[in-house]
Amino acid sequence: MNEIDPRLLEGLRALASDGLREAPVSVETRLLGELRKRRKVARRNLWIALGSGTLAAAIAIAMLLGSRPAPGVVTPASAVQESAQADDDSMDDFYRLPDTDYLPPMESAMVVRVQLPVSSLRLMGLPVSEEQAGDSVQADVLLGQDGLARGVRLVE
Amino acid sequence: MSNVQTNGDSDLLRLISRGDEDAFLTFYRRYQGPVYRFALQMSGKVEIAEEVTQDVFMVVMRSARQYDAKRGSVAAYLYGVARNFVLRRLEQERPYLTALDDPESEYAGVAASDQDPLADLTRNERVEGLRKAVLALPPAYREVVVLCDLHELDYAEAATALECAVGTVRSRLHRARALLTEKMRAEERCAV
Repeated sequence: MNEIDPRLLEGLRALASDGLREAPVSVETRLLGELRKRRKVARRNLWIALGSGTLAAAIAIAMLLGSRPAPGVVTPASAVQESAQADDDSMDDFYRLPDTDYLPPMESAMVVRVQLPVSSLRLMGLPVSEEQAGDSVQADVLLGQDGLARGVRLVE
Repeated sequence: MSNVQTNGDSDLLRLISRGDEDAFLTFYRRYQGPVYRFALQMSGKVEIAEEVTQDVFMVVMRSARQYDAKRGSVAAYLYGVARNFVLRRLEQERPYLTALDDPESEYAGVAASDQDPLADLTRNERVEGLRKAVLALPPAYREVVVLCDLHELDYAEAATALECAVGTVRSRLHRARALLTEKMRAEERCAV
């Protein structure tokens, strides 16, 4: 323990108890304002993050559903062909998928070969027997520049 | 507010890291006084004390999670943060101007009146004289006197706040007290 002059000790005690000051209220007010601002920014960032996540998920789902010619695509593409220019003539060989009329005209097209369950051909209006429903069939899917499927063509 | 007033510091800091306003207010009101007084006693300037207090609690607001109870008490942590801000501010000030010489200093008027050698050493004058003497100490000595003698931190807590060894605190305090005693006696001789 350090030795201390008794009179110095007395003086230091007096100094310690003298002027037990506190920060002015303005400091607290400024800090509270800053805290509220930070909370607001944090809340906004959270909403942006949630919104971005939701939007990304929605786009992914939309692309998945939109590019799928029919429920139950079971295998990935085995071949891809790309056409720089496409018009309605390129649809000649394809069955037009239902509900594609609202889609924008094709500016470019891509053909993806997939394995489809035979049962999905019913969605295109083709007759499918119950015996064949469990089989799969190779088909080309026509995708527009937006990645959405416009038509399907049976390979086999 | 009443829900968090009895919370411990660690709980408050956890809540503050989530942006809890009541927790922040409770924590601020618990510690603003010591932080403010430390900054004032170290700098001798009200405006520096206010700025440092604000800066310290901004750090708390931003990084409450970073406090590690294993490394020392909350008070030591806050004094350490405050000390860094004070030293930075003092470095930014004119290097040859002490708080006593600065006309903007809170204690400037007191210093002028103390120059009268015939004045009685009343208690208030002794306190002011000592305050001056503390402010005139080199920062490394001043901070140990402020922490250990004015804020009554033990050596270990002061060492945590100052990020130095306990032995360093002890030796600096010994030297600082010797300087203050010497100064006090010199003033008394002048007054006689």
